[in-house]
Amino acid sequence: MTLRLAALALLAAGACGASLLAGGSPLAPHDVFAALLHPHAPGDAATIVWQLRLPRVAIAGVVGASLGLGGALLQGLLRNPLVDPYLTGVSAGAGAAIALAIIAGVSPAVLPALGFAAGLSTAVLVAALARRGSGIDANRLILAGVSLSALFSAVITFAIARTASPDAAQQVLAWLAGSMAGRGWSDLLFALPYAGAGALLAAVAIPALNALRIGDVRARTIGLDVDRAQWTILAAASLLAAASVVLAGMVGFIGLIVPHLARRSVGSDARVLLPASALLGAALCAVADAVARSIVAPSELPIGVLLAFIGVPAFLYLYLQREQTA
Amino acid sequence: MIALRGVAIAAGGRTLVEAIDARIGACEFTAVLGPNGVGKTTLLRAIRGLAPIAHGEIAIDGRPLAQLTGLERAQRIAFVTADETLTEALTVRDVVALGRFPHHRWWQWNETPHDGAAIERALADVGMNRYGDRLFGTLSSGERQRAWIAMGLAQATPVLMLDEPTSHLDVRVAHELLALLRRLAAGGRTIVCVLHDLNDAAAYADRLLLLGCERMLAYGRPEAVLTPQIIERAYGIAMQRIDTPHGPRMLPAALR
Repeated sequence: MTLRLAALALLAAGACGASLLAGGSPLAPHDVFAALLHPHAPGDAATIVWQLRLPRVAIAGVVGASLGLGGALLQGLLRNPLVDPYLTGVSAGAGAAIALAIIAGVSPAVLPALGFAAGLSTAVLVAALARRGSGIDANRLILAGVSLSALFSAVITFAIARTASPDAAQQVLAWLAGSMAGRGWSDLLFALPYAGAGALLAAVAIPALNALRIGDVRARTIGLDVDRAQWTILAAASLLAAASVVLAGMVGFIGLIVPHLARRSVGSDARVLLPASALLGAALCAVADAVARSIVAPSELPIGVLLAFIGVPAFLYLYLQREQTA
Repeated sequence: MIALRGVAIAAGGRTLVEAIDARIGACEFTAVLGPNGVGKTTLLRAIRGLAPIAHGEIAIDGRPLAQLTGLERAQRIAFVTADETLTEALTVRDVVALGRFPHHRWWQWNETPHDGAAIERALADVGMNRYGDRLFGTLSSGERQRAWIAMGLAQATPVLMLDEPTSHLDVRVAHELLALLRRLAAGGRTIVCVLHDLNDAAAYADRLLLLGCERMLAYGRPEAVLTPQIIERAYGIAMQRIDTPHGPRMLPAALR
């Protein structure tokens, strides 16, 4: 298991490294290396690497890791392989707030913070609706997450339909499709504490996630405080989803597929499944972002669209193949 | 060991059964009997502290249940619940290892050598030492039940409670399981077990706790509890008692 985790860590590092080499402006690998070693060297290379590519790769890594980890947490909490971190309502709430703000002409500088606040508020609302007794009801959580998401996507559509400015509509759509274009170190610094807090809570929840694998009822019999575990896991997943949404908008699919792939490679023990999901998410997101910004350079493909085009068929293939062998 | 004083069990705002008084001693095998829906499972859940009681008091080793934390209860009582499906692909050993949960602090992720020994012992106690690597989903009903019992044994608690462990089991497997519980009681564990078969209870249990609608009807040795009068009061069916060298046995009177 440790060996597999190490292999995944190498994979993630390799993906981030490769992602550093890709981009709109042609830079030879040795120029990138030179720029990495000499951040203050004169010339464009240092600026491109340190101000554009490096933050971009770091952001892709954090987004991918957050979504992978968040997905693994929620799938473990609900013991349902079809949920992803956006079930917390974070992306829908953030999306609706950002869409309304863009159309109202609010300054782009405050959008991430606004989206973050709206996303987390929605997560709290979803959690309140999912509450039963002192714990969380899995079916209610799914119902609340799905229906609030539907409501907020209607708000987004309404906002786009009503705006007179095609520019604003374009901006909203870009956000919905997921993109890390134009994000930099300051965005990463804003989101990192929340992603870190989510990861910390996830680590605390590891024994609980393992116990929950035998079901809520039996987990209670061995002394797990199921209610507290549920809130911890949901809070962790919401924080991770909110951090990723601030950095990249809606990047679908990673939170769904990555935990599956991780489980196939390392099993369901949360001690290895969580780090594996984070590493695999980081690797996938970094590679996808590299492709997204080099395939149609100098413009960019939305990473959410790209992931869906490549990811959906790959995922279905993997899943159906497994059904056949099982 | 486990003292029940004037306990009343309620569900959904309705009192199911009251006046439960019992002193379950160490190393005794107690069978909990009664018609469907009378509150047998709820009583077990209440003893484990997972369901509130409407009235009365439950104490474990002289300490009221309410004074114990969830983990402290899990260190005293293991509870093998009635079948709940297991969706994860876990091995038998994975499942049994979770029995060590209440002995870990929250930052302890890894198994200690002491845990390993407890897990191996639990598997050996139920005769499943060679099943450790088997996937739980590939086990038969009887094997699954033994694996859940092993998880309870790994919990290393003085008390082991089981909710209908013999349902869905064929006669031989059911008797093997009851004999296993008997051995565990002889080995120092207190067994509290919901059973449906009166004759299984008579054959294996030291004491029977019979719940009827509204109140506990009897608590005592099988010879004292299994009388046609008490059984008819509990189940509303006429039964005949046959005394054998192995204790009383009950047959439905209609089959005579």
